Amino acid sequence: MNQEETIAQLQGVFDEVFLDPVVLTPELTAEEVEEWDSLIQISLVIAVESRFGIKFRVGEVEATQNVGEFADLIRKHLDG
Amino acid sequence: MGAQESGLASNADLKSALAEGRADFWEQLGRRTAAAEAFEDVWFLSRLRQRARRSGPPAPEATPLRVALLGGTSLFPFQELLEHFLAAEGIATELFVGEYDDYTAQILEPESELHAFRPEVLVLIPAPQRCRYAGGPADPRERVEEQAHALVRDLLGLCRTASERSGADVVLANFLPPAGIDLGPYRSKTLASDWSYTKLVNLELGLQAPGTVHLCDLEFLAARLGTPEAEDARAWFESKQPCSPRLLVDFAREAARVAASTRRTPKKVLVLDLDNTLWGDVIGDAGLEGIELGDTSPRGEAFKAFQRYVATLTRRGVVLAVASKNEHEIAMEPFEKHPEMVLRAEDIACFKANWEPKSENIRVIADELGLGLDSFVFVDDNRAEIEIVNQFVPEVATLHLGDDPSRFVRLLQDSGHFERLSITEADAARTGQYRAEAERRALASQTTDMDSYLSSLEMEARIRDFDETDLPRITQLINKSNQFNLTTRRRSQAEVAALAASADHTAFTLRLADRFSDHGLISVLVGERRDAELVLDTWLMSCRVLKRGVEVEALNELVARAARLGCRTLTGHYLPTKRNAMVRGLYPSLGFELVEEAPERTTWRLDVAGYEPRKTHIQCKSETA
Repeated sequence: MNQEETIAQLQGVFDEVFLDPVVLTPELTAEEVEEWDSLIQISLVIAVESRFGIKFRVGEVEATQNVGEFADLIRKHLDG
Repeated sequence: MGAQESGLASNADLKSALAEGRADFWEQLGRRTAAAEAFEDVWFLSRLRQRARRSGPPAPEATPLRVALLGGTSLFPFQELLEHFLAAEGIATELFVGEYDDYTAQILEPESELHAFRPEVLVLIPAPQRCRYAGGPADPRERVEEQAHALVRDLLGLCRTASERSGADVVLANFLPPAGIDLGPYRSKTLASDWSYTKLVNLELGLQAPGTVHLCDLEFLAARLGTPEAEDARAWFESKQPCSPRLLVDFAREAARVAASTRRTPKKVLVLDLDNTLWGDVIGDAGLEGIELGDTSPRGEAFKAFQRYVATLTRRGVVLAVASKNEHEIAMEPFEKHPEMVLRAEDIACFKANWEPKSENIRVIADELGLGLDSFVFVDDNRAEIEIVNQFVPEVATLHLGDDPSRFVRLLQDSGHFERLSITEADAARTGQYRAEAERRALASQTTDMDSYLSSLEMEARIRDFDETDLPRITQLINKSNQFNLTTRRRSQAEVAALAASADHTAFTLRLADRFSDHGLISVLVGERRDAELVLDTWLMSCRVLKRGVEVEALNELVARAARLGCRTLTGHYLPTKRNAMVRGLYPSLGFELVEEAPERTTWRLDVAGYEPRKTHIQCKSETA
């Protein structure tokens, strides 16, 4: 799965986690989305892990800067 | 996802139900919420609920409740799950959420935000790191206990203060047991291990909690799920979560349930079906010997275990009732006679076995017990009966048991309907009180109901002289009937045949059929002519047809025969046995006069000429030659 496909799938997860619609792009950061705070981040990470069937290491997600990097981290785990 | 297979709406279904503003949205949402186990599912459902509240179909009315949430862990996303599960219980929340680990100050400072909020319910999740023994693994037991008791005292003291200041009920989470294998066999030989210490603290918290403090038993929930699935170290390090996302769902659901139960009347009555619920097979078809019950078969054992569990419910104050499609007498038979029955007639406060719809019977039971339908739970193996009750008495909670009796106990336990915040001695005495109440009320409405009931049965009786083909059945009844049997004279078939042929005797049988079933040959009478007197030698009847007027039709026939034989009086004897007390008062109730009274025999007399045939609800045909 390339980054684009991963983000497309990630879009589905965002749609179920956020109250208001968020349109994902690789450059999008949490600061740009009002709802995307550290609290909803917890629920987002749990949902992503479950929908993609992966498990992040402690601190990994926090280190990503934008949606593109988050998608790359997901791809890294999917590749094993 | 198994959502579609189980008849639940998928995420996409729910989204379109919301987009189209469909009225069944809330019901579908509720059913999905009840079944949801994964965190992301509950989260999605909660988000959908919030979107629907803004623009969707009108939400069902909910009671508002002021809930404060405090803790020594992160309270998010627990907060949202709690709110969602409370909404699913029909409770809208006004929520106050404390900051991380500020609960001690919030509770102890009289001017705190918590007290300004005036909570009705306080949910408290204590800091998990407090539940660690500070000493070494070889410390004497007393020292460990001392520290555990101090922790319990402090925590319950806080809870007590909170509830005294605000009047709130406190829902206190206990501590998560550790999953690590760690100490190995020594783990359970010392109280100082994390495992033993957590169990000790949790146990004492529960045992010492005052009446306003209700435990949300995280230890139990973790054990049920499996401790490795319950723990999540990363979630603690990253965001101070109390447990894994999966357990967080169970935790929030349980906390919501406990909080809700402080504000609602508990379920009080369990209405039971009989056939294939309390025993296997249909009593009306299989008979007393044919039903599956007891330790001779695996199914029989499972039904008996279910009865045993139901019996324990009465000790926590649950009142039992029966709603069964059966003839009353037949349905009662196992309760009175089956050796493997755990439940007995006296355990059932209200017994309705008839052919009316169960929804109607449940209404009648509620009237007779004087209890609201919203305190009723109805269980049945038959989905159609469940649907009827859901449709016509929606206030009643229902549980479909299905066709595997080994699952019945867990299904009923996990329904949570008979959860209790506390159980008192008074609860255990409840069945007896309600039973007496039900009997009084039933008696009061009996006269009118009984008449319409009897006439609705459309009963037909046939009277015949003793007949060759009937001899085996007559002989069987003569030698078997104990209860409705005035003289209890046993005879061989040859002796019965001789009676039939005797010129000095008049002997006949009654058959009864009604709208629902043909009861067959159910009564036997033999009279002996002695000059101007007809003396009743035998009068017996099957108990299956008690109180239907059969005995009156029998008397009408007897008097007619006496008149034809030129007898002026009809004489009856009652010979008491251990089992025929039921008919001790039969003669006087039919207008006979007492002639002689002795312990071993009473004698009664009826004037033939003065007798007016009595009316019953039975169409009676005499086929006498």
